[in-house]
Amino acid sequence: MIQRIVQDRIYLLIALLMVVSIITGIIFPTTFPTFTNFSQIFLNVSIDAIVAVGMMLLLISGVFDLSVGSVVAFVACLVAYFMQEANIPVPLAILLAIASALLIGLVNGYLIAYKEINPMIQTLAMMGIVRGAALMISVAGAQNLPYHFNIIGQSKLLGVQMPVWYMLLTVLVFSFLMTRTIFFRRYYYIGGNEKAAELSGIHVKKMKMIAFVISAGLAGVAGILISSRLGAALPTLGRGLELRVITAVILGGASLSGGFGKIPGALLGALFMGIIANIMVIARVSGYWQEIILGIILIFTLWLDKALLKKYSKL
Amino acid sequence: MNINSKVTLSNRCINLWLLLIVLFVFSCTLPPKTETEIVIQSDTNLPEQTFENEEYVMVTTAVSMPMYMNRDQRSFLRWGKARNVKVSILGPADWDVPAQINAIEEVIGTRPTGLLINGTDPAIAQVINKAVAAGIPTVVYDSNIPNANHHAFLGTDWYEIGKMQGEEMVKLINGKGKIGYMGILGMSNMEAGFRGLLDVLKKYPEIEVVGKFDSKASVEEAARISADLISAHPDLAGICGFDGPSGPGISLAVKEAGKSGKIKITTVDGEPEHLQLVREGTIQLLAAQKRELFTWYGAQFLYDMAHKTNSLSANDKGAGITSIPYHVNTGLLRITKENVDLFIK
Repeated sequence: MIQRIVQDRIYLLIALLMVVSIITGIIFPTTFPTFTNFSQIFLNVSIDAIVAVGMMLLLISGVFDLSVGSVVAFVACLVAYFMQEANIPVPLAILLAIASALLIGLVNGYLIAYKEINPMIQTLAMMGIVRGAALMISVAGAQNLPYHFNIIGQSKLLGVQMPVWYMLLTVLVFSFLMTRTIFFRRYYYIGGNEKAAELSGIHVKKMKMIAFVISAGLAGVAGILISSRLGAALPTLGRGLELRVITAVILGGASLSGGFGKIPGALLGALFMGIIANIMVIARVSGYWQEIILGIILIFTLWLDKALLKKYSKL
Repeated sequence: MNINSKVTLSNRCINLWLLLIVLFVFSCTLPPKTETEIVIQSDTNLPEQTFENEEYVMVTTAVSMPMYMNRDQRSFLRWGKARNVKVSILGPADWDVPAQINAIEEVIGTRPTGLLINGTDPAIAQVINKAVAAGIPTVVYDSNIPNANHHAFLGTDWYEIGKMQGEEMVKLINGKGKIGYMGILGMSNMEAGFRGLLDVLKKYPEIEVVGKFDSKASVEEAARISADLISAHPDLAGICGFDGPSGPGISLAVKEAGKSGKIKITTVDGEPEHLQLVREGTIQLLAAQKRELFTWYGAQFLYDMAHKTNSLSANDKGAGITSIPYHVNTGLLRITKENVDLFIK
């Protein structure tokens, strides 16, 4: 039992989250353990967590995508352009913008899976192309987006802002798909041993391409949500998001070599980083320290994970 | 399972879905349609200020940017020491507006005495309104934020920065020649600066603008762009920079090409490296902001508002007025070779 718990980084992360939350709650009893603060933490991590779900799928299959942050900005700017400049109705503008994200994912996936271009090079190049396109579309960004668009990210359900619910829905849907459907479970085989998966009849190339399409699609959804939450579309959105999301996914149990990870891990990883950032704001720790502390926590978590695994695998 | 039980099950499912939809409709709160709705909310629910744990919080982005650290933040910390109150500086290490918004949202929950916000982008308007609605005195500095209800703004008009550079460049190149310009693309304040520059340059038909470039807030990138520009246009007359790293980057490329003083440079900021480059004659003009004033007086405004230092009526809150200036243009410093020594400390 202990061995099983230790082998799954999710449990370690839950334990760490609980310990950190309890200690912080004792130190800051009036500001940290409140409904408002926690709904704010969830809201702040919602965009990262949605993108992290797509990244988790990619990392399970042994690849990653550095263009997700640029896709977030591109979709945000494109939807704003469609609504404000082309006067396209809100629902159609959203559909078109998300379709463009899927297309970006399709191009990435096709070139990586079928033309065997290195994922890092391909997605790095796409990151530049898409960011440039976002800058070209919006120049200094678009403000005052339509009210009916802003409702998507600014409405509240049971006192919690909608992006949190979309995040939970995304995690639930993909958790179900990854655990209960044969199609999605194949990603574990691909990530574990690509050659063996191919020999067993899995369409590895097609599956990889689909993973990139899904990841870009989720980044597109995140772009819609962040712009509707802000009521504005900025070409600078999502800068550094890719590294933040990869960190969250690794914290949540994925491995860069593929074959490992669970969808809730993506949420927990993002949540862990969000809670640490929140604690630093409450404790008034300056921004200089935030990156250092997050880096130390990442190294510590991975070290603890390795150490526990080593100890209990001997049992 | 017989047909009846299947029907019952599907009925239950439909009922459950209906219940969820009804719950959703009744629990869903829509955002306010106009800014006035937010103002009304703020006027009715302002809690009385207490000074038990008096604290003033500055929230910026790119918190570790040297110019912000050396000027804005140092001045704010100095103010805190002079007033003997707690001051804190928060925000992401990199240029990340959504992360700045998240930090402001989280700070609102901790109810500081006053909130000093770097006006990085118009997208922060909503969170500023949220802070105001929560009854926190809120001052914006650097760039003004349209559609926001902050109590005061202190800063520079970026259009004027562009205009000042344009007018100086026209003089330096005698109204003719090729010009390139760069800054961080996508930032609304810089785009305003670009507009100011182009509005001046377009009056001179013999001036050709060869391009607008993204320096990505990096000295290396600014140097690379400038070197490419010099190669592509050997007769380049001048380059204008709109972000701090542009000045040293452009200067590096111009010096390496052996064209120091021949290719004219106008740029922003007055950091020691910029001043040194003006002194040696590589940069001809610095349009520098009085950044120390942004945060010193911004914090002082918050203090005066919280302490009701100047009352303008029997009940300022009731009368719907604030007793601090609404808009302060701190102006620009025009630094050239003639006066640069006065700025080197």
